[in-house]
Amino acid sequence: MLDVTSLTKTYDTFDFGPVDLTVDDEVLSILGPSGSGKTTLLSLIAGIVDPDEGSISLNGDHLDGRPLQERRTGLVFQDGALFPHMTARENIGYAATDRDRIAEFASLLEITDVLDRRPPTLSGGEQQRVALARTLAADPDLLLLDEPLASLDAPIRRRLRRELHTLFTSLEIPVIYVTHDQRTATALGDRTAIVRDGAIEQVGSPMTVINRPATQFVAKFTGNENLFDATVVEQREDTSLLRVGNVRLRATTTAAVGATVTLCIHPSRIQIHAPNEGGDLYGENMASGTIDRWLTEGNEYRVDVELDDAPITLTTTVRPPSFDQLPLEAGSSVRVTMPPDTIHLLS
Amino acid sequence: MLPAKSRTNATVGRFDWLTVAFLLGAVLLCYYLVPLLALVLSQPPGVVIQRLTRPTVVSAATTSLTASITSAAIASLFGLPLAYWLARVDGRVKTIVTAVVVLPLVLPPIVSGMVLLTVVGPNTFLGGLAAANGLQLTRSVAGIVLAQTFVASPFVVVTAKAAFESVDRSLEYASQSLGKSRLTTFRRVTLPLAWPGILAGITLAFARAIGEFGATIMLAYYPRTMPVQIWVSFTTLGLENAFPVAVILVGIAVATLVVLNVLGTNPLE
Repeated sequence: MLDVTSLTKTYDTFDFGPVDLTVDDEVLSILGPSGSGKTTLLSLIAGIVDPDEGSISLNGDHLDGRPLQERRTGLVFQDGALFPHMTARENIGYAATDRDRIAEFASLLEITDVLDRRPPTLSGGEQQRVALARTLAADPDLLLLDEPLASLDAPIRRRLRRELHTLFTSLEIPVIYVTHDQRTATALGDRTAIVRDGAIEQVGSPMTVINRPATQFVAKFTGNENLFDATVVEQREDTSLLRVGNVRLRATTTAAVGATVTLCIHPSRIQIHAPNEGGDLYGENMASGTIDRWLTEGNEYRVDVELDDAPITLTTTVRPPSFDQLPLEAGSSVRVTMPPDTIHLLS
Repeated sequence: MLPAKSRTNATVGRFDWLTVAFLLGAVLLCYYLVPLLALVLSQPPGVVIQRLTRPTVVSAATTSLTASITSAAIASLFGLPLAYWLARVDGRVKTIVTAVVVLPLVLPPIVSGMVLLTVVGPNTFLGGLAAANGLQLTRSVAGIVLAQTFVASPFVVVTAKAAFESVDRSLEYASQSLGKSRLTTFRRVTLPLAWPGILAGITLAFARAIGEFGATIMLAYYPRTMPVQIWVSFTTLGLENAFPVAVILVGIAVATLVVLNVLGTNPLE
């Protein structure tokens, strides 16, 4: 288990921390924008950079002050950082001289055929596989990965993502995976930590971070564009009735009546219907509106709907065949619904 | 991605601004090459070879080679650690130290000789101390080595620094994270990758040392190095008698360029 306590580091233009973090034998993905401190966190844990304050322990051993080579920490860099003057076999053998062990990891990562080639002749995906094999061959107690898929083409990235998921599950050591890509973070991480300006904004399961963001920053960074101010008009048992304009939304959460709150609804949780479909008996959690615009994002459509009864635009995602079934275009009237459990109040 | 080079420029041989630029530059190229060819062709090869075997020429060549190899070795011994340090630190100190390293390159060689004499001359503390222990720091091979090292060692430091800087730090971190010590990391990762650049620096330093004249003549008129021998032959016996040694130096200069290009890391390109 990795324990990070009150870790800080001050640079000329950037203050990192204090950061507290505990990582069991699991994959923690660190998600954040460029310059948020993701790589600084890895550098501090790895021992590349010394912290100003705080401590790091791995399986009960304090790593503070220990040089990089004594931390038993595996590092995988964005570009692989393979030694260009060595073949793939020599790169892996750099950490493990046992031929059987080299063959074992080569087989595991499907690079047996390229073992006698030098890194510049390998594809980006092959380089990352060799880099992983080299790191795992050293039998680390902790694995740190700094955006290893970032420079790869999308198909290779998707394939490696699946393979990494399988690999990480079998490792049974703490794994920290840094990325700025939400899909990679949620696909690989048992938990996801959102980093901003050198501090951790939220740690939780990928679904929690996406659907229950702790802050507006987390909401926006995870693609949640539907952030609105609402007034609490009723409190009943474990639910609250909120009002945005003349739209009434019931949420499975409690809040003081009369308070102004910020609510968010992830676009993927909003359903879009034909004008006379959807909605519940009480007229709650539904609204009619007009499609302002839509655009294609991969295999889904992102549709902006201007509501008739509230001065807001809701963004929702629609997957085929839904969109094709509904002859929607800009200017069309639609109805949107959002179940109570999709409405999240920011603290 | 847009191509980095225009195919039009490469394939169309029209008389354009590039041709004009080359023709103007060709004047300078001729200015470099014609005197060298004139030197080599000025005397029959047989005469040159005969004069090469004269004791004064052999002695000068031996002195120059011995001193230059020693200078290059000393420059490497102290210069490579300094180059590595410079490549791995940042900040104002680095800028200042780099400026100090480059100083001998921009100082007129004769001035370099003068400043060295103020430290190792016969009437200085160091010069006196060394002489008392049987080592003459002037008018000796030691004096030649001191002068050559002063003017040539910056080539080792500057070139090797660039070579070390070209080795990605992440490679060193990767090595260390695999449990290897700093020394092992340097020996197995940094040094092999920087080696062509380092060798280029040492080659340049050797070439600069063997051609050193200004500082050398201030510290050690005797024993004569090849450049000093050229000067003496020219002033006492005329230009023709200076040719054989000059031909040797031209040969060494050409060999240096060949070595640098074989290494593929000619820092002068």
